[in-house]
Amino acid sequence: MPPPSRPQAARSPLGDALLTLPAALLVSGGLCLWASLTAPDTVSTALAWCGGAAAVLLSAAVSTSVYGLRLSRRHLADADAVRAEADAVRAEAELLADETLPALVAQLRGGASADTALGRTAQPATAAHRRIMQTLAVEVGRGERMRAAAMSACANAAGRVQALATGMLADLREMEHRHGEEVLGDLLRLDHSTAQAGRLADSIAVLTGARSGRRWNKPIAMESILRGAMGLISAYRRVQLHNSSTAAVAGHAAEGIMHALAEVMDNAASFSPPTSPVHVYVEEAQAGVVVSVEDSGLVMSETALRRAESAVSADTLDLMSLSGTRLGLAVVGCLARKHGLNVSFRPSARGGTGVVVLIPQQLITEARPAGRPAARDAAQDTVHEPVPAPGPQAVRAPSEPVAPVAPSEPAVPATPPVPVAPPAPAPPTVPPQAARAAAAPEYGESGLPKRRRGQTLATTAPSGTDRAPAARPAPPRPARSREEAAERFRTFRRAVQGTPGDPPAPSPAPAPARPEDDIR
Amino acid sequence: MRRLGPDDDPDRLYTVTGGRSRAADDRTLDLVTLIVSECEPAPGMQSEHVRILAMCRRPVAVVEVSAELRMPVSVVRILLSDLLDTGKVTARHPRPVTQAHLPDTDLLKEVLDALHRL
Repeated sequence: MPPPSRPQAARSPLGDALLTLPAALLVSGGLCLWASLTAPDTVSTALAWCGGAAAVLLSAAVSTSVYGLRLSRRHLADADAVRAEADAVRAEAELLADETLPALVAQLRGGASADTALGRTAQPATAAHRRIMQTLAVEVGRGERMRAAAMSACANAAGRVQALATGMLADLREMEHRHGEEVLGDLLRLDHSTAQAGRLADSIAVLTGARSGRRWNKPIAMESILRGAMGLISAYRRVQLHNSSTAAVAGHAAEGIMHALAEVMDNAASFSPPTSPVHVYVEEAQAGVVVSVEDSGLVMSETALRRAESAVSADTLDLMSLSGTRLGLAVVGCLARKHGLNVSFRPSARGGTGVVVLIPQQLITEARPAGRPAARDAAQDTVHEPVPAPGPQAVRAPSEPVAPVAPSEPAVPATPPVPVAPPAPAPPTVPPQAARAAAAPEYGESGLPKRRRGQTLATTAPSGTDRAPAARPAPPRPARSREEAAERFRTFRRAVQGTPGDPPAPSPAPAPARPEDDIR
Repeated sequence: MRRLGPDDDPDRLYTVTGGRSRAADDRTLDLVTLIVSECEPAPGMQSEHVRILAMCRRPVAVVEVSAELRMPVSVVRILLSDLLDTGKVTARHPRPVTQAHLPDTDLLKEVLDALHRL
C-alpha cells in the first residue's frame, strides 16, 4: 500500500487523492510490467492484461480511500473547532444572562439612564450580545421612566386631594361648631364622606411613596387613634371599641397607624355580614400596644391567611400585587414597613378573622393629652383662677346666654385658695399686711405701679433698696418670703414646663400672696 | 380656608357621637341647664364622658361643658343625654323666675338712668 505523499502540503482531500493516483499507478504498473516480462510467454499476455486491470483498480481504490480518509480527518478537526467556539459562545451567554444583564437592570432600576447604565456595565464581546443589551437597556429604561412618571403623577394628585380633604375637614369642623342642630346631621355625613375620600388619597400617597396627609405635633391618645381610624371607614357604626389603655402614640406615627388600623377595620367590616359588629381590643404588652380587630365573618382559608401575611410583611411593595380594587393590604404592608408595625392574621374566636397589630414600644409615649385636660379640670375645680384660659373664653364668647352663669364664677375664686396653705403658722395674718406694705411703695415716681425686683430675696437684705421703712418689719418676713419664694418658683416652673406638676399643690399660693402679680 | 392645625384632635365628631346628630329623645337640655355628675368616671369610658363627669362635680352649665370640651353644643347634648340615660349625671334646670320676684320695671329704669348720669 503506497503511503500518502506530502500530507502537509495537500490542502484539500481531493488534491491528496489526485496525487496518490499517479503514484499508485506507477507502482502497480511497474510491478505488473515486471511480472509480465519475467513470466513465461504463454501467460505473459494474459498476465499483462490482468495485471494492468488490477493495477488500475488498485490505484483507484487507494486514491479513493485516501480521499475518504483525508476528508474525515478534516471534518473531525472542523467539528472540534466548532465545538470550542460553541463553548465560548455559551460561556459568554451565561455571563451575559447571569451577571451583565442583572447588573444593567439594577443600574436602570436605580434610576440611571440607558446610556449611563450601558457605560457602567461591562460590554460583552459578541456583537449580537451587545445589541441585545442595547435593546434591553433602552426598553427597561423606558419602562422605568414610565413607572416613575406614573408614580409621581399619582403621588402629586394624591397630595392635592389630601390637601383638599384636609381643608374640607377643617371647614366642616368649623361649620359644625357654627351651625345648629338642624344641619349637624348633614354636616356629619359630609364630614364622613370627606374623611373617606381623604383616606383613599392617603392610600394612593402611601403606595406611591409620598407622605401621609397630616402630621401631629403631639402624642395622640389611643382612644383618639382608634376613633380616628374608625372614622375613616364607611361602616364605622359597626366598630365597637374596647379600650381602657391610656397610652398615646407618638405624633409622627399617629396618622400612619390610624390609617393602617382603618384599612384593617375596613377589611374586617367588608368581609363580614353587614349587620355584625367588628370588635377592636387594645392591650398593653411588653413589646408595645396590641390592637386586635376581630370580625365574625368569613373565615380566611389557610392559603388566604398566608397570602395576606406575605402581603403585609413583604420587604418591598410589589406593584404587580395590586389588584386595582383592593389596595388595603398593600397599604397596610407599606405602613407596617414604615413604622415597624407587626401585623399578623389568625382565625378569630368569634368565627371570623382576627388581625393583630402590634405597635412597637418606641412609638408609644406617655398619654399627655389624657393627662393634661384632667390637670386642667382639677385646677379649675379647686381654684377658678381670675384669669381663665383664653381658649374656653374665646369659644364661650359667641354664645350669649353665658351671662347668668358667669356671676357664679368670680364669686368662687376669692375664697377657696386661702384654706389650702396650712403648713405655715404665721402666714394667715402676715401675708395681707406684708403684701399691702410691699404693694404700697410700689407706686413709683411715674404714678404707675412698679414691681420691685428681688422681692423674694428680702430675707437677706430686708432693708430693701429705696423704701427702707416699708420693709422695716423684718422679723416675720423671712418665713413668709421663703414660703412665697418656693411657691412662686414652683408655679413658675410649672407654667414654663407646662406639666401638670404635683397635684397636692395646684396653684393656690400665688393668688392670695400677690394678687397683682397674677393679674399683670 | 382654615387648615387643620397640628394641635387639633384627630377625632371626628361623628365618631364621638357614634353617628348620631341629635339626641334620641327630645329632652330639653338648653344651654344653661346645670349638669351635675352623680358618679366618678370609670376606666374604659369614653374620654368625653370622663371629662364631663370630672368637670361636673360642681354644677356646670351645658354651654360651659361645650366650651370646655371644645365641641358644638348639639354634640355635647348627645353626650349628656347618654350620661343622663345611664343615670351618671343629673340635669337641673334653672328655676324660672316668677314675675313677683322681679323688681319693678320703673325701678330698673331709674337705676339705669342713675347709672347713665354717673
